[in-house]
Amino acid sequence: MLRFTATRLVRAAITIVMVVTFAFVVLRLSGDPAQIIMGADAPPEAVDAFRTAWGLDEPLWVQYISYFGAIFSGDLGRSMRDGREAIVLVLERIPATLALTVPALVIKLALGIPAGILAALYRNSALDRAVMMFAVAGFTIPSFVLGLLLVLLFAVQLGWLPSGGQESWRHAILPVITLGIGGAAALARFTRSAMLEVLGQPYIRTASAKGVAWRRVVANHALPNAAIPTVTIIGFMFGSLIAGAVVVESVFSWPGVGRLLVTAVANRDLAVVQCILLLVAMTMITANLVVDLLYGVLDPRLRGGARKAEA
Amino acid sequence: MRRRDLALLPALGLAAPAVAQSDSRPQVTVAVQNISTSNTLEMLREQSNVGTRIFRNFVEPLVDTDWNGDMSLIPGLATGWRRISNRVVEFDLREGVTFHDGQPFTADDVAFSFGPERMWGGGAREVPPAVVQNARRAFPGFERIEVLGPHRIRLHSSVPDIILEGRMARSIAVIAPRGAFMASSGWMDWARHPVGTGPYRVAEHRPDQMLTLEAHDAHWQGRPPIRRLRFAEVPEVSSRLNMLFSGEVQFASDIPPDQISSVESDRRFEVVGGPINNSRYLLFNKSHPVLANALVRRAMSHAIDREAIIAALWSGRTSVPRGLQWEFYGDMYLRDIEVPRFDPAEARRLLREAGYRGQPIPYRVLNNYYTNQTATAQIMTEGWRALGLNIQMQMVENWSQILAGEPETRGVHDWSASAVVPDPSVQMSGSWGRTGAPWLRNQWRNEEFGDLAAELETSMDQQRRRVVWRRMLEIIEREDPGYVVLHRNASFTAKRRDIEWRASQSFFMDFRATNWRA
Repeated sequence: MLRFTATRLVRAAITIVMVVTFAFVVLRLSGDPAQIIMGADAPPEAVDAFRTAWGLDEPLWVQYISYFGAIFSGDLGRSMRDGREAIVLVLERIPATLALTVPALVIKLALGIPAGILAALYRNSALDRAVMMFAVAGFTIPSFVLGLLLVLLFAVQLGWLPSGGQESWRHAILPVITLGIGGAAALARFTRSAMLEVLGQPYIRTASAKGVAWRRVVANHALPNAAIPTVTIIGFMFGSLIAGAVVVESVFSWPGVGRLLVTAVANRDLAVVQCILLLVAMTMITANLVVDLLYGVLDPRLRGGARKAEA
Repeated sequence: MRRRDLALLPALGLAAPAVAQSDSRPQVTVAVQNISTSNTLEMLREQSNVGTRIFRNFVEPLVDTDWNGDMSLIPGLATGWRRISNRVVEFDLREGVTFHDGQPFTADDVAFSFGPERMWGGGAREVPPAVVQNARRAFPGFERIEVLGPHRIRLHSSVPDIILEGRMARSIAVIAPRGAFMASSGWMDWARHPVGTGPYRVAEHRPDQMLTLEAHDAHWQGRPPIRRLRFAEVPEVSSRLNMLFSGEVQFASDIPPDQISSVESDRRFEVVGGPINNSRYLLFNKSHPVLANALVRRAMSHAIDREAIIAALWSGRTSVPRGLQWEFYGDMYLRDIEVPRFDPAEARRLLREAGYRGQPIPYRVLNNYYTNQTATAQIMTEGWRALGLNIQMQMVENWSQILAGEPETRGVHDWSASAVVPDPSVQMSGSWGRTGAPWLRNQWRNEEFGDLAAELETSMDQQRRRVVWRRMLEIIEREDPGYVVLHRNASFTAKRRDIEWRASQSFFMDFRATNWRA
């Protein structure tokens, strides 16, 4: 198990280095932060001075090495826009993003999993069709369209809820619903597929033939086996907690990590972008690691596989 | 869009500006696309149209501008000024002015604001190098501020400068208090939360989110009309309008012209604004092998149907200026100048004379950095193509990509120019002369123009300056085009109709008592 975990940690570290390197190269080759941040009207000598002050006049490889050197000494750099530490800027925004993504995740789980299970258990029924109709609709409508529709209805027409900003818990309702509906729909579809596959397995038929109550068959045999693919999706959703609301935060003017990322990319504010990417990569990798470990918990055969790999 | 339910909003307390029990003045929120490009509120750092929108509400210069009138220079923190020589201007400072921290405004603060700690570097505080360069560009001949008394100073220039007073109206010439500046932990810390003398003080600045200003009741013009003024950053146009319709904000800025009729279809709202002190123009790059030929550039100038662009994209709500100049230039405004007329036949003749054989000309375009930019570019490109010009429109993401590559690879790109000083020397000599960006980037150079630009900046003979100015316009707009003027830019703000507020002739949104009644 130790080797299993260590292997994944090494892979995770390599992934993070690749992500950060890719972002560094792409962002630096697609725009000069000095010209972008100083603006079109800034005098050329001011842009040059900015470039020199931030080391942007150094060769790219020198900038890359000094950036990585700083990371290993715990310095994630400063925002070129206002000089603040990038990590401080990012950490400031995380609570706002979690205020959307965590309740949205709860909605996804609370709606998506039961809906998927019910649709599978009542396959081809009116209930199944209704659930799948909503699931397909929720899955296919882009979040910015859904968000704007909700705003038009609940903020503009009815005046029940605010349409944007982050001043009270009421401001979070529409973005949370927007995020939650799409995720719940996806989860319902995956859960239904996984359940249908398991319900078609011989051991389900055997258990039923042996006279086990249907409720117990579902609870003890179908659900645990259907959980593995579903857990994969849920793991991905956990990994998206930090930066999974980029579009929704823009539509609702919600000052979270997603909006910070958009602004930082547009301004080529390298340290901030890298800091967010590091956090996102680490979150995603941690979620994947937990999912891998959960596989072993859910399926004893995978534990054996892990032991074999260790041996 | 149906908005009949908005009638319910006042009952819900959403449509009316929030009112505190102890202060009957309203709280007003303005939805803006962007609060500040640099995430700072110090105009020495924030040299942009975006910053122009807000800064004058919390900081003030010695010389103000009549933003809602004729754009002339008017007293600000200085009550008057007089020329001592062609290099020196004396200012009488307003008495009884206090900064937001309660400290009185004196001549020492003016000297400090133009001193090394805030502006030039080399003092007790480290000043960002880009800030020093911005200051040098705005005050190229600055020598010193001489304090003559608690409320009198003299501005000394090392070179003759006919617009020395006008330079004191520029955004970076606002006055900061020594005490508050030195109490901050550094220049950038100050820049994020500056202290000034304006009608509102910076109460809270959350970069990229919200700027909250509160009334500075000790302001020298009297109590400001708004208790709390907030600028909320809402990047999406539709979101800004939705917030207006739902009553969450009272103003929504940066409204595209095609949304005006939609907004005004509800009689509760209206769109104000129009042409401002900013012109949109197209910049040529003479280093490009095809555009090195002035005839090709002149042909392109004659192929632009400005009136069609204004009618189609601006609903006729802006106009074509008489070249890159402004009525508020006073006696330097040349009323008989016109931009090259739309004349396809003349354009074809010029192309034939140039021997143009269909060589490609790149045109780099940002995606609506300027209002209607992409559509304007498409209209012009089709016009040029109809004449046989092989214009290659290239959509790019940022200014860095506009200017990327060697000068020979760049063809045409969009630009805009603002003017706040009532004289052409800042806008034209500063921007297009030998120290201007196009010259330094080797995009456009003309030796005769360079000499004239220098003369326009330093000559004190106004009659001679008019002659110089006319010749400069002839060169850069007709003989050897450096640019071609498209139209005056326009800025539109959607607002509640029951609030009496006028949009200025600038990006600046003025919320002083003189411009407010609700």
